[in-house]
Amino acid sequence: MAAPMEFSATRWGRAVCFSFLIVSYVAVVFLQWGIDQRLSAQGRTGELLYATSGKTLRRLCLGHEGLLADIYWTRVVQYFGRKRLEHSRRFDLLGPLLSITTDLDPQLIIAYRFGAIFLAEKPPGGAGRPEEALQLLRRGIVANPDYWRLWQDLGFIYYWDLKDYPAAARAFQAGSERPGAEIWMKVLAASVAAGGGALSTSRLLWSQIYREAANDQIRKAAEEHLIALQAQEEINQLNSLLAHFRNQTGRGARSWAELVLAGHLREAPRDPTGVAYRIGPDERVALGPGSKVDLRLLQSD
Amino acid sequence: MMNRVASIAWHTFKESVRERVLYNLIVFALLLLGAAILFGSISVGIERIIIVNLGLSSIAVFGLMMAIFIGITLVWKEIDRRTIFSILSKPVRRAEFIFGKYAGLMLTLLINTAIMTAGFYLALFYVKRTLEFADLVALQAVYFILLQLAMVVGLALLFSCITTPVLAAVFTFSLYVIGNFLNDIRWFGQETGSPLVMKFTAAIYYLLPNFSNFNVIGQIAHGQRVPGYLLIANSFYALLYVAILLSAAILIFEQREFK
Repeated sequence: MAAPMEFSATRWGRAVCFSFLIVSYVAVVFLQWGIDQRLSAQGRTGELLYATSGKTLRRLCLGHEGLLADIYWTRVVQYFGRKRLEHSRRFDLLGPLLSITTDLDPQLIIAYRFGAIFLAEKPPGGAGRPEEALQLLRRGIVANPDYWRLWQDLGFIYYWDLKDYPAAARAFQAGSERPGAEIWMKVLAASVAAGGGALSTSRLLWSQIYREAANDQIRKAAEEHLIALQAQEEINQLNSLLAHFRNQTGRGARSWAELVLAGHLREAPRDPTGVAYRIGPDERVALGPGSKVDLRLLQSD
Repeated sequence: MMNRVASIAWHTFKESVRERVLYNLIVFALLLLGAAILFGSISVGIERIIIVNLGLSSIAVFGLMMAIFIGITLVWKEIDRRTIFSILSKPVRRAEFIFGKYAGLMLTLLINTAIMTAGFYLALFYVKRTLEFADLVALQAVYFILLQLAMVVGLALLFSCITTPVLAAVFTFSLYVIGNFLNDIRWFGQETGSPLVMKFTAAIYYLLPNFSNFNVIGQIAHGQRVPGYLLIANSFYALLYVAILLSAAILIFEQREFK
């Protein structure tokens, strides 16, 4: 008789123990959640860099610095993505995180290339720090002297963000002289030197980026810029047409129908996204309502 | 003699398997699979590099843990269980016992590393959807990891002959860490400008095992090959160092009295 009772008691004890374990674990989760909420309210869970020196971290990795660099690069991507989603204009940790990443793995090319874009782009799209982007790329060039695409990125930032066309042309030229560089780098260097700031030069640059994009995000950005450039060129042409019409008739056109009737156009012009352009009260061409073209992208041109 | 060494080695390998040390392979597989999925979704452009870095680092770290934690008990366990008396009462020399123990653990590590390497290539195939001839360059890093492990097992075995498992683990791990900082130690000595300190740090640099020679995972992850000279020089370095460690272990073990 004693054996079944003992067995039952042991089973009962185990059940209690197991239940206690589960309940305690659930309680721990809730407690941690409460602590996190309180700390968050007190502003104690801010952004942390954890370590400030990539070179020191590299020493402490015992040969596994490549893995840590990958983790830091993932932190860069996550940090940048979160800030973009929050529409934040402050990217304080971006530079230091990139610096640590590239100190840990100086051959991690993607960190230089994408990192420079993240740093250079104007807020809220990026940190708006083209000078830091240049520094990052220069470090990349020192660590990877034969990788000509870093020169391409350097030239692009000089051209697009700093509008320093001679420096951009020099960067493209220097890149074109690296082993394995594509021939169009020489074309870029010549075009920028000859017509820096022209829409045609911008289109040449963005077309190249679109063709070479290894990432959907960059390809989409290049496509948006190309659409904006096309729209801007069309707007310039249409404005010339409106000026010509005024010279001919002595008054401004009020609708596209007047230009069609006068034989200047076959139909009402549409922007690259298919929305009709409109003539503004100032007799200048503007994007139609609902147009998906973003001309603000060209503000740095 | 070779038969006796092989017999002890085989017994040591079987004991490791019985103690379920190869269970680490499951953790390794889960880690690689998890990383492949996780980093594919939260990072940009490093899917292949992360698998190479994580795969090779995991092979190194799991191997290191096994080398230390099994290595430190290789001799001590036989003494503690008093099975050493029955072994040494047979026509087995003490040197053969040490060689056999060393070879047994190296066999365990070799098989463990081979299976992890196969898992690593599977994960790489999962990420890249293809495998190229250039991917074989990772085998150079695996080879260097094995050379490192050969030296670590030598250290652990040596300390296993001298002291308790806890202290042996501390000494082995400390020497492994110091062995990764030897270049810095020597540089610090040169920075002081003191001839005495410089000689001292230079002596340490050449006396202790230099594990940083074998750290090539980073360059392998970027597809860079290890130069042929380094492959040969590091192989001889590890071979010589293992010979030194085993000789020292045998010398100590020969002198040891068992009560």
